Amino acid sequence: MIATKKYKYTVGAAMLGLTMLLGNSCKKNLLTPSPTTSIVDSKAFDSPTRILSQLNGLYAGVKNGQFYGGRYVIYNEIRGEEFIVNKPNGVTGLDTWNQNVNSNTNEVVNLWSSAYTAINRANVFLVGLNANITKVDAATANQYIGEAEFLRALSYFALVQTYAKPYVADQGASPGLPLRLLAETDLTGAGKNDLARSTVAQVYTQILKDLDDAETKLGATQANGAFRAYKNTAIALKARVYLSQANYAKVLTETSKIITTTAPYQSPNGASKLESSIATVFNGSYSGAEALLFLPFTTSDAPGTQNQLAYYFTSGPGNGEYYLNPTGIYANDALSGTSSTDARKGFITKVGTVNYLTKYKTASPFTDYVPVLRYSEVLLNAAEAYARTGDLVNATALLYAVRHRSDPSFVFDPVAIASQTSLVNTILTERRIELLGEGFRLTDLQRTGQALPAKSGPQGSSPSVAATASNYIWPISGVELQTNKLMQPNP
Amino acid sequence: MTKKILYVLWVILLAGTQVYAQTRNITGKVTDAADGAALPGVSVTVKGTNTGTQTDGNGNFTIAVSGSNTTLTFNFIGYASKSVEATSTRLNVSLTATSSQLSEVVISGYSRISKKDYTGSAVKVTSAQIVNKPVQSFDQALAGQAAGVNIIQPNGVLNNPPVFRIRGFNSISLSSYPLIIVDGVPVFTGSTGNSASNNPLGDINPNDIESVDILKDASATAIYGSRAANGVVVITTKKGKQGKTQVNYDAWVGINKAFNLPKLLNADQYVELKNEARTNAGLGPGFAIQKDANGNEVSTDWYKVVYKTGLSHNHNLNFSGATEKTSYFISTGYSNQESFIKTNSFERKIFRGNLDHHLSKSITIGTNFSYSNTLNQGPNSGSLPGQAYNTGGLARLPLVLNPNVAPRNADGSYNITSTGTLGLGANTIANNYPNALVLLDLDKYTSGNTNVIGNVYGEWQLVKGLRFKTQYSINKLHTANTSFQNPIAGDGQSSNGLALNTFQEYNRNDWTNTLNYIVDLGKNHINALAGYEEYHTTNVGTGTQRTNLADSYFNNYQGNFLNVLSDATTGNFQSENGFRSFFGTANYDFDKKYLLSATFRRDGFSGLSASNKYGNFGGGSIGWNIAEEGFFKNSKLGRIFEDLKLKGSYGVVGNVGVGDFASLSLYNSGLYGGAATVYFNQAGNSDLKWETSKKTDVGLTFGLFKGRIQAEVDYYNNSINNLILNAPQAPSRGIPGNTIAANVGSMYNRGFELNLTSRNIVKGDFTWTTNFNISTLSNKVTALAQGNSDIYGVTSSLETASVTRVGYTLGSIFVVPVDGVNPANGQRIFINRFGQKVQYNQVGTPSKWTFLDGSTAPAIDGTLDGRIAGRSIPTYYGGLNNTFTYKNFDLNVGITFSGGNKIYNGTQATLRDQRFWNNQTDILRRWTTAGQVTDIPKVVYGDNYSNGSAIPNSSNVQNGSYAKLKNVALGYKLPTGLVNRAGIASARVYVQATNLAVVTGYKGSDPEVSANGNSNLAPGIDRNTVPSSRIFTFGLNVGF
Repeated sequence: MIATKKYKYTVGAAMLGLTMLLGNSCKKNLLTPSPTTSIVDSKAFDSPTRILSQLNGLYAGVKNGQFYGGRYVIYNEIRGEEFIVNKPNGVTGLDTWNQNVNSNTNEVVNLWSSAYTAINRANVFLVGLNANITKVDAATANQYIGEAEFLRALSYFALVQTYAKPYVADQGASPGLPLRLLAETDLTGAGKNDLARSTVAQVYTQILKDLDDAETKLGATQANGAFRAYKNTAIALKARVYLSQANYAKVLTETSKIITTTAPYQSPNGASKLESSIATVFNGSYSGAEALLFLPFTTSDAPGTQNQLAYYFTSGPGNGEYYLNPTGIYANDALSGTSSTDARKGFITKVGTVNYLTKYKTASPFTDYVPVLRYSEVLLNAAEAYARTGDLVNATALLYAVRHRSDPSFVFDPVAIASQTSLVNTILTERRIELLGEGFRLTDLQRTGQALPAKSGPQGSSPSVAATASNYIWPISGVELQTNKLMQPNP
Repeated sequence: MTKKILYVLWVILLAGTQVYAQTRNITGKVTDAADGAALPGVSVTVKGTNTGTQTDGNGNFTIAVSGSNTTLTFNFIGYASKSVEATSTRLNVSLTATSSQLSEVVISGYSRISKKDYTGSAVKVTSAQIVNKPVQSFDQALAGQAAGVNIIQPNGVLNNPPVFRIRGFNSISLSSYPLIIVDGVPVFTGSTGNSASNNPLGDINPNDIESVDILKDASATAIYGSRAANGVVVITTKKGKQGKTQVNYDAWVGINKAFNLPKLLNADQYVELKNEARTNAGLGPGFAIQKDANGNEVSTDWYKVVYKTGLSHNHNLNFSGATEKTSYFISTGYSNQESFIKTNSFERKIFRGNLDHHLSKSITIGTNFSYSNTLNQGPNSGSLPGQAYNTGGLARLPLVLNPNVAPRNADGSYNITSTGTLGLGANTIANNYPNALVLLDLDKYTSGNTNVIGNVYGEWQLVKGLRFKTQYSINKLHTANTSFQNPIAGDGQSSNGLALNTFQEYNRNDWTNTLNYIVDLGKNHINALAGYEEYHTTNVGTGTQRTNLADSYFNNYQGNFLNVLSDATTGNFQSENGFRSFFGTANYDFDKKYLLSATFRRDGFSGLSASNKYGNFGGGSIGWNIAEEGFFKNSKLGRIFEDLKLKGSYGVVGNVGVGDFASLSLYNSGLYGGAATVYFNQAGNSDLKWETSKKTDVGLTFGLFKGRIQAEVDYYNNSINNLILNAPQAPSRGIPGNTIAANVGSMYNRGFELNLTSRNIVKGDFTWTTNFNISTLSNKVTALAQGNSDIYGVTSSLETASVTRVGYTLGSIFVVPVDGVNPANGQRIFINRFGQKVQYNQVGTPSKWTFLDGSTAPAIDGTLDGRIAGRSIPTYYGGLNNTFTYKNFDLNVGITFSGGNKIYNGTQATLRDQRFWNNQTDILRRWTTAGQVTDIPKVVYGDNYSNGSAIPNSSNVQNGSYAKLKNVALGYKLPTGLVNRAGIASARVYVQATNLAVVTGYKGSDPEVSANGNSNLAPGIDRNTVPSSRIFTFGLNVGF
């Protein structure tokens, strides 16, 4: 009896043990699970579809809310004099507006990092594509390489304008950026942490080299929509780069490739031209011929909290962070004159006693497309280059092309366009009107050697910053200074 | 059961020592003071003689005494000694149980060993130290209870996981939180909540815990191998004891208030000060007193809008008992606690069943099983890690909102602007903070857990001394987080209402098999264990965010919204990891004098690189029980020391809190407008291997004066190598996240520990027992990644006030030094990297920064001019616990202390900021006139530099040393005779106060603070967090 009982328990225990064994044990891949929500590097370039997704990933990197998808554009505006801070919030650029950032201010650290992340994506992509070049046809591969080079150039151009002295200050002799052109993927790989700054001129050379190559590789038409670069996009950016070098002849070399010599001014193949109404361009989701490159957003792919243009510049749907400086370009008759019939006046909305820019106005999650390159800038770049090289006729014609699109019957005061100096100034003013809120004010001041103007509002004032002052450009990211032993801080 | 074993031991030890003398006989009975049970085997001696006996099975004794020697001494292991004068021939004595450490058992989770024979370093916290405390999770109650254990409660948010450190910070990039084992189950820890804090350890009922064994050195922890570097906490839940069924009911009710709030300017002071600041900035006045319809000044105390007196109650009921074959413990608990923060609450419903049954003499089966349902609710307190700068953070709002503006309009509607910020009132300057009242009324956050922790086991004695045990355990934690942010004010305003629900499922199953052999060969005693364990963890999250409310009627996730987003940022994840391990341990002693222990574990972990999955860990220790030596026993010292043991250990353990796929290079997928993207997202490291921690311990334990004093002293040295560091990469490399996980860097934690228990007075009805423990900690980083680049600790992604630098303590405070305020002009003087004094003027032109002679100076830079201003990790900490009993009264006074560290008081920067924010009243001593010497600069409107908002500076670095009256409890046991008539075996009532007082030089609300929670890189930061709570409770313990 006792023996039987004991036997029964032993069997019972054995059964229990067996149940546990079957229920749990010996998972074969216990130590080698594969990620299900990320793609391992060995499979990252496996198919044409995935390679295209990789290419889109490069654009998404540039479109990061800390970079071109929002904040970079905002910083270039609020460092200028067109906007007054309304909400004194350190997170939404208060110190940037105050010209009071330092090397560990978030704006400084995050823009630096996000732009270089975008650059490295391009570098990694170029290596990965070359290793899998047979997976796509030659034309497609060329187009992809051109786009990657274009985006790398765009990113370097943004960085060099923010963290280095303007090229015009000393023809690019100042310290520029560490030029990272290799794929950085691991600890001991090609790059390593320490890399000294190339000069500003060397950075410009690299940017132009990328753009020249991109021009030869990119398709001639906007076959992939306004959200991807094509040949005209690279040319337009090149014109902008030359303009910031004050190399006006080269500006014209480039712009003449994409502007016909007679009205209506448009690219010879018709791919790029002004939209008839500027309101259409800023309907929030424009992708027509004026867009050389716009960055798209959707409700599933939004700019992210406190990065959105409309959030900063409007009060409803946005948060009213910055309003238009009454003594800035807003004071220009075109924008504030009671009798002005300029369509661009329609981008200004009064709330209470102050005026907000409503070029971007889509409600939360604020999906207004961000314009990176559009055709009216190309026309104004060309106009300025013509004016500065003495061709006042063409300069005036292109200036009118932009003005008349928004105010067809407008006639400039003859004095304003009579001399080279006054015409240049009028064109620069037109840029402020036309490109307000698109991130040009700071770089226009800097490439023309002007001080950053003083500004004042209810939350305080920000004094003028001379072109020689240390805060005329941003300091290098403190994190970079700490980790890159060859990095020199800005003086 | 235990008593029986002790009895047998006692008989063996004392056999033959009895001497009978002829005079008169005294008889009596010895009982347990707590429950009146008879105590068998108690040693009874006549003081000053060798005459002695022991009590029989019923606790009775008879002893002969001579006429002149009439004092009897009663000694019993585990109880306080007692001497009583024998005034008659009948003498009844009750003894009080003590938590005598040396006679205890250390439970490692896989095995147990007598503390006396133990050579590792471990400390036990008993049930009595944990129960009845007004906490949400047991870890909160460990503060000051054990040497080597440092608990910092970050603030008063309910169920906020404490900073829990055993012997210092043992990692940099990985967690420093210890491994928690509950009845053999490695449970989930961390924080799984949203704005409602959620510590899964709150799913364990503190009242169910029998003991908490905290394993500290390598010898003690090596059996846990790669998970042991941060120490191991082994929790054993209660079991039924033989005897009649025990029924216990414990309950308390309590109130909870904010402790030590900073005093703020009232409306008049605010208006005057801010307008003065505007004048100083060359601006017109912007602030004015508003009058309500009755002509009364509007003056709002925003603390009253946000804080209240919270009411809590807690109930536990358990049944336990055992027969010779079966023991059981069944419990249920209900806790409903409110914080002093409005809408912050914690509710827990929990069940437990523990069962052990002897199927036969050789086979035992059993289970420990608990099911809990916990609901955390709260507002966005702005006080959890990452929240310090949340615009809607309720801790900061009362500090910054204008006190001259009312929360409601005269018609009762919310006083807000179209963008949801607080209305202007009579002011003309825009405010960018939301009206706190709206957030409290309309925003909702909940985090609920369903947590099943359980195991089943079978144990089979194969031959005498050899037992096989198999245990299968699960921890299944489901967390549901819900949130709703209203469309009119606060974080949801710009989205026109936002709801985010996430569901997280964490599943772990563990199968452990062990073979244990215990054998005595003469004087050689061997206890050996070998085992195999594998466990598998899956983590799955699903979440969706809805924005843009379709109609203002809706106020939850299920209502209609226009936009939906579901991606990685809304809580979607899926990952898994696995462990496969082989381990063994052996304890050997010769004649209980010479002790030897060795442990080995081989762990395989899926998260490491393909070639480095397995790692070997182990430890060894030796000990010498000097008190067992004949020469010592016979020496003078031997009469003083009843215990004296010297021990030492060394071992290598690991830490592997890396991501599940940390070694791989990965690409993620996202969107570019309407198109899919794939992009480089993680730079892997194919060489990634285990982080190892080499731990050395040398210790001495002793007992003096027949157990009156018991002490344990340890020196420890944890040397951590091959740290798995998120090695900082130059941002210009463009590596995602700017880090790559790599085995680089090293660090050490060293110090001494003392744990001293003294039964100061045991006289008649009065006893006084003191426990004092203190630990010292010296932490230093000795190497970091490539070129030893500093690693910054960033508070809530915005403020860098911490740095980890070679040669310094982990997470040191990093700020720009200041040299007070210039008496000439009231400007803050900073000291730059060249040692030059630079002053700041918010409205200075052409430059805001000048040297003292007025010439333009380079701007102060947070990185380049920052200096280490002190360590943020305490150099010493501990507790002083005094327990007094007198007749039916008991009083417990617990003090915790900590010091040697600095705190970065970022909250003070908020309280002195010169935007529209309200200020603390100390701003009234600001500089106003030339020649005035003060520590607060001239107020200039818009100035966010002088007081540290924009760049942290040393004016906000303060001494963090403190002593806190953490807990005072006074209890009264109702007379047994009285309660027995009511059918109650015992009843005790008590009142208790928590956080009654603090002695400190710290200027902030509470020096026990951590705005970054358990962060290694940014500890000791006080940044816009709610204060801690002061709690008063009234409680009842009833036994049937």
